[in-house]
Amino acid sequence: MSKITVPIGPQHPLLKEPLAFSLTLEGEHVIESAMRLGYVHRGLERLSQERTYVQNVHLFERVCGICSHIHSTTFCQGVEALSGLEVPPRGLYLRALLCELERIHSHLLWLGVQARNIGFDTIFMYAWRDREIILDIMEDLSGGRVSHAVNIIGGVRIDLTPEHRDVILGQLDTLETQIEALLGVVENESSFQGRTRNIGTLSLEQIRRYCVVGPVARASGLDMDLRRDMPYPPYDQLKFRVPVRYEGDAWARTLVRMLEMVESVHLCRQILTTLPDGPTSARAKRRVPPGEVVSRAEAPRGEVIYYIRSDGSDKPARVKVRTPTLTNLITLPDQLQNISMADVSVVISGVDLCIACADR
Amino acid sequence: MSRLLTQIYLFEEIFAALQDAFPDEEFSVEDKPMDDTFLTLAPDRVRPVVELLMEQFDIYHLSTITGDDVGDGVRLLYHFWSGYGITLSILLPYDDLRIPTLTDLIPGAAFYEREVQEMLGVTFEGLETPGPMFLPDDWEEGDGPVRFPLRRNADEKG
Amino acid sequence: MLLKLLVFPGFLFLFVCALFFDWVDRRMIARFQGRVGPPWYQPVADFIKLLAKEDILPTGANPLTAAALPMISLAAVLTAGLYIPFGTISTASFEGDLIVVLFLLSLPALAYFLAGWISVGVYSVLGGSRALLQYFSYEVPFLMALAGPAILSGSWSIAHIVDYQGQTIWIALMQPLGFVLAIIGLIGKLKRDPLDIPKAKSEVVAGSLTEFSGRKLALWHLTMNMQTVVGIFLLVNLFLGQSSVFGTIPAFLSFSLKSVGILLLLSTASALYARLRIDQLATLGWRVLAPLALVQILVATWIGG
Repeated sequence: MSKITVPIGPQHPLLKEPLAFSLTLEGEHVIESAMRLGYVHRGLERLSQERTYVQNVHLFERVCGICSHIHSTTFCQGVEALSGLEVPPRGLYLRALLCELERIHSHLLWLGVQARNIGFDTIFMYAWRDREIILDIMEDLSGGRVSHAVNIIGGVRIDLTPEHRDVILGQLDTLETQIEALLGVVENESSFQGRTRNIGTLSLEQIRRYCVVGPVARASGLDMDLRRDMPYPPYDQLKFRVPVRYEGDAWARTLVRMLEMVESVHLCRQILTTLPDGPTSARAKRRVPPGEVVSRAEAPRGEVIYYIRSDGSDKPARVKVRTPTLTNLITLPDQLQNISMADVSVVISGVDLCIACADR
Repeated sequence: MSRLLTQIYLFEEIFAALQDAFPDEEFSVEDKPMDDTFLTLAPDRVRPVVELLMEQFDIYHLSTITGDDVGDGVRLLYHFWSGYGITLSILLPYDDLRIPTLTDLIPGAAFYEREVQEMLGVTFEGLETPGPMFLPDDWEEGDGPVRFPLRRNADEKG
Repeated sequence: MLLKLLVFPGFLFLFVCALFFDWVDRRMIARFQGRVGPPWYQPVADFIKLLAKEDILPTGANPLTAAALPMISLAAVLTAGLYIPFGTISTASFEGDLIVVLFLLSLPALAYFLAGWISVGVYSVLGGSRALLQYFSYEVPFLMALAGPAILSGSWSIAHIVDYQGQTIWIALMQPLGFVLAIIGLIGKLKRDPLDIPKAKSEVVAGSLTEFSGRKLALWHLTMNMQTVVGIFLLVNLFLGQSSVFGTIPAFLSFSLKSVGILLLLSTASALYARLRIDQLATLGWRVLAPLALVQILVATWIGG
């Protein structure tokens, strides 16, 4: 059979963001693949050296659209540790509330994209309709649907009245019913399983060798979640479970993300009902004392790590960002080996790409 | 059992094992905020130390590799995670920016090493580089942009 | 005769039906998905918009062939539509017209494959070859399922099959398996979800039609919609023909209701399932559908004979 080279990207209906693949097909099977990143590289690490810490909080929110809050959280966390600043508990809880809401948002968006890529438009429409509930909650809380700008160094700039809290709890109840319905479909529907079972399987050994993080790792049996393992406040005071599955295929990844959504709803409820009183932020100084810190957090896609070095001025000397998508991308050549062309879309979207995150 | 680590070793145990294995080496240890510990090493000690960490303590999760131009050289930081952070810090002088690759021990290091190589000009011996990763294909030609974007003299042409 | 050919139940009527069925389909699927759906004039607007767009082709694609293929498909579908009666009115009919209709209805599939082949681009070639693979998987069960009514009624003329059902009951009730197989075959023929493998957006962008635009694309879309109409009319005539079930309703009304009923069935199937993979379709077609169709034919022969 003759070989064809199929380009996927940088523009392709299957990709949300520009990423170039070049697949060599023989018949319907992929025999070789090459990947090119860098289409959305904006040089944020270099830019951050010329902005003050306050400006950088907003700069690092723009690393990604879907996980913007976790990026600014990790950055603020690191700078607060360098400055010796203690964030009041109410501020920490509100930060975590938005982190969890963002996690649900990210997973619902991903579910829609994955369903669309296997031709199941109905689930795409349902998931994105339920996403509107989360976006409404986030808009009422922060003023922005996707980009919140809630974090400041020292805490958060928003607050919550008891009435507003009750409204959010009601919306979370609606959301939970919808998520459970979607979970039922994913677990039981045969055509969905026919397209995702045994596709893109990664063994635990491969996960360890590539240092994969996030739901992709948890779907292959690696029990790693920084919210529980580190733990960073306020997760040390919250109870939740970490879903882990052992099949390692695209279906397991879907299930892990859906179960994580359910857990996040429970976490949001816990946060809202046990919200401590007090101020929401502490006053931060303009200059940060010299030092260096490694700040980690659990983004919707896995472990995000920031290394920040300060030289005593009001601008950081070096900020290094490593996002989870970059780690998960390295498994793609392995997953794309020898699969059918129709499964390429399932595999590529199964690692939950956020190329803006990977490229920075 | 498939947790990230079956056992979390105290840093003192790890440090004691390192001192036993490399008795003539002076490791300088610094504690950093957010539960991280920095170990300063010489460039040729990185591979043996990583091998020891992987074999004896099952520390294999490399979070990332940071490259930082600190004025008297390029500093490489290998950030590991084992229940708390362990970072290996290596200073490479400007006239000898070479270090052996870790990709045969930890294949997941490939993207991180390629990025440091591209942005700071450090050569990882033995690393496969199929091409630029984040920078455009024609970055090295022409006299417009500077060669290594994260180096200090990146503001000047050259 | 010319009026019958051009207006009713000929070309103009089929054209209007094509646009109407497209609207019903899109509206139905939208309602399943919790959306509102397009207004009634959307298919007309889409057609007019496409006619006004620029018509470009990649270098290396033969412009004559590219222009001829949609016209040939459209002509084949329209000719097939002539032999399919609407209610009691039929433009033309003769013994054996079922076979002619089935032959004409398989021309668009081959034209679709050729369109992908001559378009040079990678996605088009892939889409075209998938279309051909899909054709081989669904066509055999489809033809066998449609042969069932012919065997049962002892005639290869569609009009006679309809009359036969007028004397007995719907063939769908006598051959339910054949009916289901015919519906599945129709889904494959029309390249609808869950069998829209040749034009899977997330895999081959738009399949064979990726490089078509403007008037040619408008003709292709019209062919697809007309094929839907003609296919549904064919199924209604063969399986849900004239019978006394509906009592004294005029023939064209009952025919319309039955057609829209089958369309709703197709829309439901589109909304409920994920797309199959080509190898899953091939397995389904040859291991499940074809043997079942064979069984159905044997049963039909035994009952009829």
